[in-house]
Amino acid sequence: MSTSTAKAGSMAFLIDMTKCTGCRGCQVACKQWNQLEAETTQFFSGEGYQNPPAMSEHTYTRIKFRDYWKNGQNEFAFYKEMCMHCAEPACASVCPVGAFIKTDLGPVVYDADRCIGCRFCMIACPFGVPKYEWSKALPLVKKCTGCYERVKEGLKPACATTCPTAITYGPREELIKEAEKRLTAHPDRYIRKVYGKEEAGGTNVIYLTSLPFDELGFKPVTLRPLPGYTWQALRLVPAVFLTVGGGLSALSWINHRRERLKAEEEEAGQSPSTETKEENP
Amino acid sequence: MTNHWNDIQHADVILAIGSNPAENHPISFKYIEKAMDNGAKLISVDPRFTRTSSKADLYAQLRPGTDIAFIGGMINHILQNDLIHRDYVVDYTNASFLIDEKFGFDEGIFTGYDAATFSYDKGSWKYQSAADGTPRRDPSLKHPRSVYQLLKKHYARYTPEKVCEITGTAIQDYMEVVRTFCSTGRPDRAATIMYAMGTTQHTYGTQNVRSYAMLQLLLGNIGLAGGGINALRGESNVQGSTDYAILYHILPGYLKVPDAGHVDLSTYLEKVTPKSSDPKSANWWSNTPKYMTSLLKAWWGEHATAENGYCYDYLAKKSGNYSFIKLMERLQTGGFEGLYCMGTNPIVGGPDASAIAEGLGSLKWMICADLWETETSIFWKRPGVDPKSIQTEVFLLPAASSVEKEGSISNSGRWAQWRYKAVEPPGEAKSDAWMVDQLCLRLKELYKKGGVFPEPMVHLSWDYGDGHEPDPHKVARECNGTFTRDVEIKGTLYKKGEQVPSFAFLQDDGSTLSGNWLYCGSYTQKGNMMARRGKDDPTGLEMYPEWAWCWPVNRRIIYNRASVDRNGRPWNPKKAVIAWNEAASKWEGDVPDGPWPPQAKKDGRHPFIMIADGHGALFTPALADGPFPEHYEPMESPTHNMMSGQQCNPAVATPGKLSNPAKFPYIGTTYRVSEHWQAGAMTRNLPWLVELVPDMFVEISEPLAAWKGIANGDMVTVSSERGSIEAKALVTTRIRPLRVGGQMVEQVGLPWHFGFGGLAKGDSANVLTSAVGCANTTIPEYKAFLCNIEKGGKSA
Repeated sequence: MSTSTAKAGSMAFLIDMTKCTGCRGCQVACKQWNQLEAETTQFFSGEGYQNPPAMSEHTYTRIKFRDYWKNGQNEFAFYKEMCMHCAEPACASVCPVGAFIKTDLGPVVYDADRCIGCRFCMIACPFGVPKYEWSKALPLVKKCTGCYERVKEGLKPACATTCPTAITYGPREELIKEAEKRLTAHPDRYIRKVYGKEEAGGTNVIYLTSLPFDELGFKPVTLRPLPGYTWQALRLVPAVFLTVGGGLSALSWINHRRERLKAEEEEAGQSPSTETKEENP
Repeated sequence: MTNHWNDIQHADVILAIGSNPAENHPISFKYIEKAMDNGAKLISVDPRFTRTSSKADLYAQLRPGTDIAFIGGMINHILQNDLIHRDYVVDYTNASFLIDEKFGFDEGIFTGYDAATFSYDKGSWKYQSAADGTPRRDPSLKHPRSVYQLLKKHYARYTPEKVCEITGTAIQDYMEVVRTFCSTGRPDRAATIMYAMGTTQHTYGTQNVRSYAMLQLLLGNIGLAGGGINALRGESNVQGSTDYAILYHILPGYLKVPDAGHVDLSTYLEKVTPKSSDPKSANWWSNTPKYMTSLLKAWWGEHATAENGYCYDYLAKKSGNYSFIKLMERLQTGGFEGLYCMGTNPIVGGPDASAIAEGLGSLKWMICADLWETETSIFWKRPGVDPKSIQTEVFLLPAASSVEKEGSISNSGRWAQWRYKAVEPPGEAKSDAWMVDQLCLRLKELYKKGGVFPEPMVHLSWDYGDGHEPDPHKVARECNGTFTRDVEIKGTLYKKGEQVPSFAFLQDDGSTLSGNWLYCGSYTQKGNMMARRGKDDPTGLEMYPEWAWCWPVNRRIIYNRASVDRNGRPWNPKKAVIAWNEAASKWEGDVPDGPWPPQAKKDGRHPFIMIADGHGALFTPALADGPFPEHYEPMESPTHNMMSGQQCNPAVATPGKLSNPAKFPYIGTTYRVSEHWQAGAMTRNLPWLVELVPDMFVEISEPLAAWKGIANGDMVTVSSERGSIEAKALVTTRIRPLRVGGQMVEQVGLPWHFGFGGLAKGDSANVLTSAVGCANTTIPEYKAFLCNIEKGGKSA
């Protein structure tokens, strides 16, 4: 029985991982459209060529690589991590000030002006999507916007526009049908599941894959819409705010102060040290 | 490409060999997956399990440099099991032609070999002639001197067991690939081959490509939708740069560069224009005099007259090999005063890169024109070098990128597509055309004041603008060609200055000029055909004849006369590229390879019109190293040649600085990743791409890592006879040791994008590679050399 509460006519991403070649055009297109900073990385973080190490305030989407040996054969698989744009988003339901809005078009968008920085959204999201700008003095929550500004204008999201193969963007009902059509047409190619059709009460990002979802690192998620659990989250509000949230804020402030002081020091000492370097190559 | 990108979707089997389309041609996967959705099988043959392999139905590992053994075994399977497309092979290839009695082959050597010069006397590599001058034939293919029987004998030695012993492929994987691919000998099935530098960058690279072409001819896969052999070009416009003669041995449109011995135009034309006495052979290159004369008219305009051989004397003649390797050798011996690098970064991209960097110091001056500061442009401050010791004066000219200028690009599928300028170039950056225009205008001024042989420069026809940004339309119009005087052709009068409609109208009497006969038709009286954006698809095969323009004469699939039987009926009517309409007596579909009726009709022609005898060449004297591809080991190999006593390609001289297998036991092979591009200047300076692949790394197998005590992410040193580099080790099951001749052989995979400059710095893989090249093209053998690997960086 479907428990999806997704809005009729909303737009969705169908991500067919059997068609993803791991080129990461999506990852770069996202950074370009959203003008996100590149992260400083070293070598690779995770299997295959995976980078950066985690989703963050600078990385709204990422290709996770799996590179392993199974039944005498190589598995080299790619999975796109991004906001699932839930039909009934937990982030929105726990936000005490309504900074998250589930739009009729599908994207779950965030209003920075309303945000009070409580970060309940980060705790509530079962997919671990919202990220906090720990590097900023006045931090905001950052996550994939579903390219709402593009979608509103009739464009496709940046990642979907760039992807040559795996991402289809369109009305959710049609994409569910398309996904099911693919399962029927190529039963040997896919795990028989349209992920996101019912997960978390239905999401506007749906996946097809040839590998078991847990092998790709998908977390098991309830099929019930998440706000059903919200009262439990809200019950914990004061404690969380004072302990987890408050503690993290303090840490961030201290870290920041250290970085700021270091930057100031470096700036003050920069010109003479550069000259010395040039004289002694 | 014989076909084009969109056409890959029509294949029943796709063989990606010597290429890695998922990583290096990601957009092509759109069409590969479309084919797979329709039931096609994708085969990935690669030393490493790549992102392409991850999408493939079948993966077969092969040792770098063993393509001919791999394909030779497939040819053997086809011939032993009679899986050829018989009508195609008999009618359209030279399988039935009889070969000279003196021709032979023994122990890896063809008849006519001279070990002293590493070359062949090809006197016996020829057909037996019938009385009328055409080749003697045996359509039953039974004659022992027929190409078919010689071919069968040659490849009978390539048994699956022998092949797998050489290639290291698991025999069950190999047989699965063979069976799947060779199922396309049926007329209604087609296989395509997608290849790239993994194929060509070998001392027998041209023969690797030839082996693919022969396989496709035997299965009747050339000319068909979903067939062909398709070179995946490594840059958006590399097809265009080849068409316009970036290589030293060709002039625009693949006309041959004259040799020193071609003393005048008539001698040149006599020597290079192929002849055929078969009235059914179109022998298209017989038009060479028209194309050459029109080219000379384009270059020297009114100064080019019949009396002075159209200024043929002004052309530089070649008297040797001026390929990249040879130029770099000369550089290292102080043979050049100056060097102009346009969008090239030889000390990252060239073989034995440290030696090239060393050689640059002998230059008096060097110009680099690029989007970024390349390693080559700062070679004088490379690590370990005292800038004071280098006297070379270096100029770095900031260049405009492709979106900052207008003009055409020709993609792998030969589509010339017009692009517009999207944004102004930043700062003082200028287009390459502007730089060349300025250089030429100023040189002309200097030569007017005198100099040695000033006429070629002073008389050069050069009018592309007013000294500001040159007009790309003027260039494109000249490339297409114009009438230099009023001419009447087939009853139509063409006025002086009018654009030539197509190359069939080019003349050898000076009445036409054309900067590139292949592009004649791209910019006609109707306008710029390359700028067209029509989306009509009359054949339903996504050829889009009104989208841009495709050489030659907008033909989307070349050799398409081979896609039909002798009477013009498509082998596969469901995917008919062309078809002969009997009633109307004309072709329908794609632009056919010439207007003549199909082969069996009166005035019909053989399908392979660019070959003098009109037939696909299963045997050819054209190459330097043999009429049939034969397996040799790479110049550096961990094993002996198991196919014959001849270890390496006999037509390639042994280079200096050879890695010895005792000291350097592992196979090194270079490649690219999706995230970086070529020598890296364009990508290693972009933070978003640097984030994805920040460091030079090498891929090694788990057993090799265990043996050497290397953990994933450890710094390692890789060395060869040319030098050593450090990199981080990526330990993966995607690279596995190969069982070769009963012994396990390990490989080290190296991306070649890195250098000491830019944002993401790293050692260059090409410090390790050998400056030895293919017998025919001199392309360096980047893909198979010997190296060693040890834990720890160079300083460790």
